[in-house]
Amino acid sequence: MAKRVAFTQLTSCWGCDQSLVDLHLGLLDVIPELEIVYWPAVVDYKLKDLENLPDQSIEFGFVEGSCRTKEDEHLLKVMREKSQTLIAWGSCSCYGGVQGLGNQWSIDELMERKFKTADTVTNGRIPEENMPGFTDHIKANTEIVPFELRIPGCPPTPENTLEGLTALLQGEEYELPNKTVCDECPKEREHKTITEFHRTHEGKIDPDRCLLDQGYLCLGFATISLCGAQCPKVNTPCKGCFGPPPGVIDHGAKIISALGSVVDMDAEELREYFPDTIGSFYFTDYASSYLSKITSRKKKEETT
Amino acid sequence: MTDERTIRIEPVTRLEGHGELTIKLGKGGKVKDVQFNISSTRFFEKFLEGRLAEEVPRIAERICGICPVPHLLASVKAVEAAWDVNPPKPAEKVRRLFLNAKQLSSHGLHFFALAAPDFLAGPFADPSQRNVVNIIKSLPDVGKLALQIMEYGQDLVCAIGGKSIHPVTATPGGMLNPFSEEHRDNFLERMEDLKEWTTDTVKLAKKVVDDYWDVIENFAVVPTYYLGMHYRGNYEIYDGRLRVMNPEGEIVENFPAKRYRKYYGEHVPNHSYATHIYYKPAGYPEGVWRANSLARINVADKMPTPLAQEALEEFREKLGRPTHATFAYHWARVIEMIQAVEEMEKLLQDPDIVSTDVKLSDVEPKKGNGVGVVEAPRGTLLHHYWTDERGIVTKTNLVVATNNNIGGIEKSLMKAAKQVFENKEHENLNLPDPMIK
Ligand code: SF4
Ligand code: SF4
Ligand code: SF4
Repeated sequence: MAKRVAFTQLTSCWGCDQSLVDLHLGLLDVIPELEIVYWPAVVDYKLKDLENLPDQSIEFGFVEGSCRTKEDEHLLKVMREKSQTLIAWGSCSCYGGVQGLGNQWSIDELMERKFKTADTVTNGRIPEENMPGFTDHIKANTEIVPFELRIPGCPPTPENTLEGLTALLQGEEYELPNKTVCDECPKEREHKTITEFHRTHEGKIDPDRCLLDQGYLCLGFATISLCGAQCPKVNTPCKGCFGPPPGVIDHGAKIISALGSVVDMDAEELREYFPDTIGSFYFTDYASSYLSKITSRKKKEETT
Repeated sequence: MTDERTIRIEPVTRLEGHGELTIKLGKGGKVKDVQFNISSTRFFEKFLEGRLAEEVPRIAERICGICPVPHLLASVKAVEAAWDVNPPKPAEKVRRLFLNAKQLSSHGLHFFALAAPDFLAGPFADPSQRNVVNIIKSLPDVGKLALQIMEYGQDLVCAIGGKSIHPVTATPGGMLNPFSEEHRDNFLERMEDLKEWTTDTVKLAKKVVDDYWDVIENFAVVPTYYLGMHYRGNYEIYDGRLRVMNPEGEIVENFPAKRYRKYYGEHVPNHSYATHIYYKPAGYPEGVWRANSLARINVADKMPTPLAQEALEEFREKLGRPTHATFAYHWARVIEMIQAVEEMEKLLQDPDIVSTDVKLSDVEPKKGNGVGVVEAPRGTLLHHYWTDERGIVTKTNLVVATNNNIGGIEKSLMKAAKQVFENKEHENLNLPDPMIK
């Protein structure tokens, strides 16, 4: 019997969705196993249709994106009510995603720039009619409602999603691996002590040697291995978009402490190389970091 | 009793992004207002501030998971423009291949998954039937065709960029990884199949166009301005000047992207988080323009490759230049698919495509500002960054492809709503039998 499945998008880039479509001919094997009860990108069901489903009637509910608007929060809660197994699908859902970087500012500052002071805007105002309104800051969905499963990745690869889905369809356990990107990276790693860093555009990269050993900030050593080391394989440093391995809550903090043991420089020097700690170390998971929570709390205190 | 009412469509489906539709009807079914409510946004223009400029492309491409390649490239080009950097010629060729591969997969996705269901299953079919899943089930040959075309494009994006979604290799000064001979041979080998699938798509599209001719010619036809890139009058998507065409079909502007602020206006509606971009000298809403495939086809004098040129001539013979028929977007998209395939073949045969000279090693950050523009599948995409001496982004302005069209989409929705609710025109439209029964 086909399983009742829903795919929903909160605020997101739709990449997780596209990644599922990237199964291509593989879709022909999966689709017969699914009874799609909601998937706005593809099927013409309306929000009302979802709201009218009996509670717990969706067997697997996939949630992409994070709550940037109040409408997103509503959709997330509806999905929780209607789903037996709720899956945080992609790094936005698991950790807040890139939009979490916005937590460095208040929502008013964010709106001000976009709607009022952007260089080409000719009539600045904040849109209100029939608009849902924004959340104060981004949180990981898993902090808002409980989830049964997480599949991180920005986006998860088609294989990641297929593996998760297949496990669910067959009633098996789906567990995240306890490996890092380095474990799947083909580059030669000498574990050298790093004495200087280069920015990605600088110099010529030796394609055979570990990027970190060459002084490029590659976050493979502190990032969960699910992607198959896609970026280092094409000579590009890992930026950590799949988040930390299981058990690590604050990805950036973990990276910074681990870096401490491979570099030969003091904190001040390190700071000089990385003037933007947040963008460099917490690119898709800043919203779930301690730092973001402290900043958000402070911003709130300032305004109240 | 009053027959005034408001119709809300929540959400608008088969759309990338978040949108709702509000139609306000007054007495006697008169259409008072139509709003396309884009209900979310993420504020990239603010949170890119303070980042290392060379890292920004990897963040900014997360604006869209369907078209990350154009974002990556517009972003990299903006940094290069700010730092006065010109990547080696072979890198530019690889980037062109990259962009065309994305154009192909995106157009495949759009045509088959978002648009075709209405034509193949018919616009009055049960909503649960009008989707690509149903196409895959009911017309397996068409479904397979769609999946294979998308796969070729996405595989090629992945081969160049390391990831098919949010690829990574483009960096200020070139590409971090050369395109390998092995990949080149593989994609050239698969090219014959791709050409065959494209021909089949053209056949299918022709049938749809013939069947729905009445709709194309009569429904949601709205005169607007058009914006698109060209290179000496030729259709172009990677690097060229921008043209603005007025509703009468005259080219009224022709400018390098860096001067966009003189021509681009961004109107903030009260009912949408997506702004409406318009031709500033004409004012709002008179200057509302549209971008995307139809606009590119309207502004170009000719296509640079032979089969695409043939297709363009046929299109113009039937619809003229410019054409304001909203449904002609689908036909324009097919012309662009042909163009993408022809250009990809040419690039794959170019010896430079596997050159290892694809990255400068002496790129220096500097204080400045730069504009990067490419044509994304959904229209002209523009990133503008300001950087300080250390190469840190201090300010950005982004005009994403879709926003060029929202004003125009609203206009055509208004027209369509009037045709449906006031004139009941769809009842007289001569619609063919759907292919899926
Ligand atoms: S996790 Fe990444 S790919 Fe998925 S929706 Fe978020 S930004 Fe897009
Ligand atoms: S290149 Fe990156 S992923 Fe590969 S071994 Fe070095 S640090 Fe790990
Ligand atoms: S290598 Fe790192 S940055 Fe690249 S996809 Fe994997 S986790 Fe993301």
